[in-house]
Amino acid sequence: MSALSDTAKARPSFAQSLAARFVDWAVNSYGSSRSSGLLRIGIALLFWSRWAGELLLYMNQSVIGLLVSVNFFVATSLLFIGYHSRIAAIWTGAVGLTIYYYFGHELGREPWTHHHTYLLAIAALLVALTPCERSYSLDRYLAVGRARRTSEPLPLERGNLWGLRLIVVQLSVLYCFAALDKTNFAFLSGARLEHIFMWFYSGSDYPALPGFHALAVAMAWTVVLLEYALAFGLPFRRARRYLIWPGIAFHVVLYVALPVYTFSATMILLYLAYFDADAVDKVTERLHGRTDLEGKKIPP
Amino acid sequence: MTDAVSTDLSARPVGSAVRLRLVLFMAIAAFMVTGPVIEQGFGARTAFWRSWTMFSAIGLGVIDASFAAEQPDGTLVPLDRFATLGLRPGGKYKRIEDTKELTALVLELCAKLGPGADLRVTARQATREGWQVISTDERNVCAL
Repeated sequence: MSALSDTAKARPSFAQSLAARFVDWAVNSYGSSRSSGLLRIGIALLFWSRWAGELLLYMNQSVIGLLVSVNFFVATSLLFIGYHSRIAAIWTGAVGLTIYYYFGHELGREPWTHHHTYLLAIAALLVALTPCERSYSLDRYLAVGRARRTSEPLPLERGNLWGLRLIVVQLSVLYCFAALDKTNFAFLSGARLEHIFMWFYSGSDYPALPGFHALAVAMAWTVVLLEYALAFGLPFRRARRYLIWPGIAFHVVLYVALPVYTFSATMILLYLAYFDADAVDKVTERLHGRTDLEGKKIPP
Repeated sequence: MTDAVSTDLSARPVGSAVRLRLVLFMAIAAFMVTGPVIEQGFGARTAFWRSWTMFSAIGLGVIDASFAAEQPDGTLVPLDRFATLGLRPGGKYKRIEDTKELTALVLELCAKLGPGADLRVTARQATREGWQVISTDERNVCAL
């Protein structure tokens, strides 16, 4: 009897085991750094796509304008090539937040206050917490060169993945609260989607399309249910396989239908954080032609 | 969360390093959640926090309107606002953004139709609560 109770004491409770699994997932997971490297490059490209044209040196010739432009191009270039990658990611994120808070909110440049600009800045800061310097970067190139010169083993393309986990949390928070904001009669009755459609497309003439209202209602429910599903399903592998394509399709439709700027592309890029980093590594190996379809190494 | 992340136990830090990272993780996650909770839970809107209420204000104020002219026999005949005003369809007044713009349009239409015109307007406006009816075709708006 006492042996039985000792065993019960030694065995962690369900809550303890869940907490331990969470801690392991959140801050104690190690894996390939390639998805982080790809995220780093993608974020730099998205920064250029969103702001490069508007931050050319002649666009704002004030001291602060020139300062932000120069910082923008230097930081994002370093991020793209991956030189002092993590510092470049923090630098890029700081420039993004300056654009968002100072130029957007303080100076009233309204398009720079949108959600997509904040998401981009935050994404850069979160990438700084990933091992983004260890793959597809000048940092990696230099590290390999150093190792070869000193006959040391090549640096591993691995690292702690807590930055990727934080990106997952950020995406779930975003989807969850976006869905909560729409969980009301005005949206679920289709009215809000009708407003948005009329604002951008038909103007003040209600669309003559038969069944338009029913379509708006169906789309409203689909959007809300999908956002909840993406919030709570995408972090789990079993649900992810069913949700990843609807999620991508959702953002593609938003991208082509509404002025979401870089929002859709950023979200799809950040989906990389959901995938097992080592699985992404295997896909890149296959892309590089170093493994066959079964994952077996192809001799050089 | 169920991902079996490859385990590289020898490289794993233990004890305080994990705890420090966990504290930072929870702090950053709390920051992420606080913004939307502040706005959606407590209704406070600030520039500092992001609420993730995308497109929540887009389209508000837009007016769904249709126009009709009453004939001598009492029947209502739809009236094309662009043709009546000689405007390019899809140009000015394609999107009536508020009641002020609707009033301006009605005044222009009444002037164009001439004295004694009988113009009926059916209109509803986009609000956060849905559609709000602002005009029915029961009254001649040119006589107001």
